[in-house]
Amino acid sequence: MGRTIPLPMLILAVLGFCYMLLPILVVVLAGLTAGEFLTFPPEGLSLRWVVAFLQSEKYLSAFFFSFRLALLTMIVATILGTAAALFLSRTRFIGRGAMRAFFLSPVVLPGVVIGFSLFAFYISTGIGLTRTIWGLWIGHILYSTPYVIGTVGAALASYDVSLDEAARSLGASPMRTFRKITLPNISQGIQAGSIFAFIVSFGQFEVSLFLSAPNAEPLPIAMYNSLRYKFDPSAAAAGIFAIILVTASVLLTNRLVNIGRLLEKK
Amino acid sequence: MTTKKTLHTRRSFLQRSAALGAASAIPSTFYINHAWAQDTSYDGGVFDAGGATLNVGEWGGGWEEFVRKALTDQFEKDFNCKINWDSSFPWFPKFVTQGAQDPVFDICNWNLPNLTQTKQAGDFFLSTDEVRENVPNAADCWDFAFASGAGVTWAYMPYVYAYRTDRGDAPNSFRDFWADRFANKRGTYGTENGLMHAFFMATAQEFGKDQYDMAAAFQALEDAMPMKVSEFTFNMLSLLERGEVDIAVHIEGEALSLKRKGAPVDVWQWDSHPILTQTKTISRYADPMQKKLAFALLNRTLSPEFLNAFGDEFMWRPTNSKATITASLAENGVENTAAATEAFWVPDWDFFVENKLDITERLNQIFGL
Repeated sequence: MGRTIPLPMLILAVLGFCYMLLPILVVVLAGLTAGEFLTFPPEGLSLRWVVAFLQSEKYLSAFFFSFRLALLTMIVATILGTAAALFLSRTRFIGRGAMRAFFLSPVVLPGVVIGFSLFAFYISTGIGLTRTIWGLWIGHILYSTPYVIGTVGAALASYDVSLDEAARSLGASPMRTFRKITLPNISQGIQAGSIFAFIVSFGQFEVSLFLSAPNAEPLPIAMYNSLRYKFDPSAAAAGIFAIILVTASVLLTNRLVNIGRLLEKK
Repeated sequence: MTTKKTLHTRRSFLQRSAALGAASAIPSTFYINHAWAQDTSYDGGVFDAGGATLNVGEWGGGWEEFVRKALTDQFEKDFNCKINWDSSFPWFPKFVTQGAQDPVFDICNWNLPNLTQTKQAGDFFLSTDEVRENVPNAADCWDFAFASGAGVTWAYMPYVYAYRTDRGDAPNSFRDFWADRFANKRGTYGTENGLMHAFFMATAQEFGKDQYDMAAAFQALEDAMPMKVSEFTFNMLSLLERGEVDIAVHIEGEALSLKRKGAPVDVWQWDSHPILTQTKTISRYADPMQKKLAFALLNRTLSPEFLNAFGDEFMWRPTNSKATITASLAENGVENTAAATEAFWVPDWDFFVENKLDITERLNQIFGL
């Protein structure tokens, strides 16, 4: 079988992958250093910082807190983002473009601005969300939802609406049409959006800096604190576990979706 | 069904407006935390806080892990309270946004430049005198522990040059940092780092008329380029260890920790003897129980037992005259005596904060940031 893409494009693609993957390699190797400090190249290889991470109550609680937070954020962001994308793609009204820009604005604005704005909003309204886990969760949802809107919106843009019309003409209710026709066809977009939401929430730093609750430190904040006060490679070791988690999430989601498709075919 | 008719007249409108106005004033009438809080006193004993929560702003990471084990875990048990630990620095925007009347933390640990900035922004903290009256262990502290005017400094470290001992003669003056042999091998910090703030003030003092001579400091720092600019002190240690930097602005304890690990590194204390401090403040408008707990926690922080343990772990020096200097510092001749602490200099952080924007902008230009 012949090559399907031109050689220059192939070279560019390989270089692009290297560019994206090298920082990950640096994190992994830095976390496996035998030295005292977070440096690259590592001073020998050792699992001592991985063990230190696994024995650190602080890191482990931050890791699992971030995991739970990202999971809950992903669920809500996926529902809200999908609904918003459907609304934007299926309704025609003046100002739709402006509304789309409004929905996507959390991605455009710096995270620090969003974090501080929400912090100030919680305080000025006195709704009891200042420095609470709920307040932090809302911040993460706000920041993650546009990624779902973007990917689901892209899936809907290439979606043939006549499929829905055919289903309706055959007597399917709007809900049944959505469940049986629309949803399966845009599932790839939803899947990609939910993964994005999870990853963005798991790695979110700026919003968390202002909204995180006492005694509930997300992993990026814990890593930042470690770098501020110790600069030992346990932060990189934590990074290794974060990379493993995110990769596993992507693979697992892919697998679940594929299984769903197989079942559907049967 | 009959309906009651309401007659809207100008008089009734004014009456309702007045009533609404009075009602809206009620919360401020009930805002009497301050009055109660002024009556809060603490005598040094243990009391039952009935499960109250104390909001604490403190550093995170390894620092938090140690302080929890050595201080706050036992404190929670003894006083029947819960500590809400927040390590998401910076504190300044949080204090200012939430306002003095509704303090974000009941007790908070600071470096002086940030504390001064917050202190200048409002009536957030009890004065030093108010704290001293209610914290018995403060009576044993050296005078410089109260120099901030808000709160009490409980630990400190002199600013030093950390230098590699295998790269020629040791520095013996502040200006040695500018020696030609250290070109591009000298290290300092980004403009948001407190060590850079102290270095700037010490440079002004050394090269100018006094510590307020900013022009002289800018010129000297320009002359010091090229420098390696780092964000964190521990990152600087790794640069020193790898030999990418031969001399660096640093603090005593952290730099000596590298020496303890066998690296060819030693420290030289600046002639002007500025010190990096850890200062705890207590919020003026904290609720009475929280304020009492804050007094108690500060009292325990100042206890020789905790300060000795903390010094052994992180090599900070205690401000309590009854505490001891950790062995590794004592071996180098460090003492905790009145004479040994006399020379310490606390730069005028009020001046620094007032000029911080200009200083930051100009330093960023010099560093090419």
